[in-house]
Amino acid sequence: MQRDADMVAPHGRLVRRLLTAYGAAMYLFLFVPIVVLVLLSFNTSRTVGFPLKHLTLAWYRLLPDDLLIQDALSSSIRIGLWVTAISTVIGTAAAFPLVRAKMRSRGVVRVLITLPIMIPGLLIGVSLLVLFTDVLKVQPGSSTAIVGQSVLVTPFVILIVAARLQGFDQNLERAASDLGANLVQRMRYVVLPLIAPGIVAAALIALTLSIDEFIVTNFLIGSGQTLPIYIYNQIKFGITPEVNALASLMLLATMLVFALGFTIPAVVRRVRLRRVVAAD
Amino acid sequence: MNTIRPAAVPADPSGGTSAGRPRKRLKGLAPFAGFTPAAVLFGLFFIVPLGLILVYSFWRTKDYSLVHDWNLGNYRTFLHTRTYIKTFLKTVVMGVLATVTTIALAMPFCYWLVRYVSKRLQRTLLLLVVLPFWTSYLLRVYSWVAILGDNGALNTVLNKFGVTSGAHRYLLYDNPGVYLVLVYLYFPFAVLTLYASLERFDWNLLRAARDLGATPAAALRRVVAPQMRLSIATASIFVFIPILGEYLAPQVVGGTKGVMIGNLIANFFAGFLLPLGSAASVLVALVIVVLLVIFRRSLDTGDVYAA
Repeated sequence: MQRDADMVAPHGRLVRRLLTAYGAAMYLFLFVPIVVLVLLSFNTSRTVGFPLKHLTLAWYRLLPDDLLIQDALSSSIRIGLWVTAISTVIGTAAAFPLVRAKMRSRGVVRVLITLPIMIPGLLIGVSLLVLFTDVLKVQPGSSTAIVGQSVLVTPFVILIVAARLQGFDQNLERAASDLGANLVQRMRYVVLPLIAPGIVAAALIALTLSIDEFIVTNFLIGSGQTLPIYIYNQIKFGITPEVNALASLMLLATMLVFALGFTIPAVVRRVRLRRVVAAD
Repeated sequence: MNTIRPAAVPADPSGGTSAGRPRKRLKGLAPFAGFTPAAVLFGLFFIVPLGLILVYSFWRTKDYSLVHDWNLGNYRTFLHTRTYIKTFLKTVVMGVLATVTTIALAMPFCYWLVRYVSKRLQRTLLLLVVLPFWTSYLLRVYSWVAILGDNGALNTVLNKFGVTSGAHRYLLYDNPGVYLVLVYLYFPFAVLTLYASLERFDWNLLRAARDLGATPAAALRRVVAPQMRLSIATASIFVFIPILGEYLAPQVVGGTKGVMIGNLIANFFAGFLLPLGSAASVLVALVIVVLLVIFRRSLDTGDVYAA
């Protein structure tokens, strides 16, 4: 493999070193901003900036008593759970026909499904704002934000669950049906248990997307607050490291949930495999 | 695989030969039933609102209320106001520059990942690239203020090495800052797309080209490059289209000089100039539609997000 690479490079070793250094540099580019953000949350100075004088956890201790943050957190979680439920159900339902129905234009349907991801969130935000406030005369608030976020998040769920379904061995279903299982039983006892890890992963990713979502929420939340909206308002009016502390915790939470979303399917597969081996 | 249908499913006893036409048609649609909730969601809250914007762009406001007479006034206003049209063009130029840079940076990166890193490590390293992409967009934009700003990380480092002294900010609150942050934000998009196609590339072709006497450079140019064209187009689309609608990055790191079309649109709507804001949105959407039509062949997006 690596010999192959060297074959097209006249100075194989040099090229490899250069490219590796380049790759490392790109990782620095990706992660330095995040590291800086987190570092500043430990700074004793009231204004956000360097140099770091002393390290402190004081800003983190302030967080639990901040009423605004409590408010924003609880509405973030409430909206997040709703969006997760809606997008997981709708997305899973749509993944089945996307993978299994006989379709001549599957590619077109795929593109249509990706459109809400691809189109700038700004356009989705303002157009939904017009629909809600000017046509339906609905006051912007949590419920409108939930709808807007669901439009953004559902395509991700569809694509993730569809990817799991693609690897699903339909012979299992055929076997179940030979044994007399009807559609509901086949779903309940064969299909859903097998793709459950994929659905859980999709739900977790939906949750992180919802909790971090800013663009569409900003247009549709009205006078309400979520954590990103709170942080945005703080950025506008000058901030203290307390916001960095909050941001660091959000990053940590997102990464944890995201990591769970990625490891759960693999772990479940391994456990199942072990069980099957043991049963043999 | 999708051609296999559960043939052994016991037939519905009531659905025999006596069943009429409508029932048959319903049966034909049954496999698509799962799409229904999604169709309702996207229909009502994605397609309809975008259609609304189109309609509103031809109406006008008079004394703060909407008048439903069809006219092109909003487009005329937009196209004849120098700052608007300049901002629009600047956004396109910025988008092109940022897209080209992002792809140029992602290309060697993916090549390195696919060719010089072991398979197991590849997964992890790719996940590390995707990770920022899933974390808060707002926080990633904001973090650059802490790097480039007065007393920011860069300022502190340069002071320490004696290059500068005192509080300075770099690139911030102007176009270069926006450009840098856009490249930062969309680099993972480009990597995901390009990696997916490079990973599938059959490197034996390269070996064959070398065996047949091609120089290394010629082999890369004439064997790899043509196969990459499609995925480069896909990556460009995926980076360029969202950039057209950026408004947070320009606002946070661009200041008043770095304004993009997205900020204009957001301001129009914040000021209840619904028809003018709609017209500006339609112009952006128009560019997107044209791009999607031109590049429709390269839009196989499935494996990008499910990576």
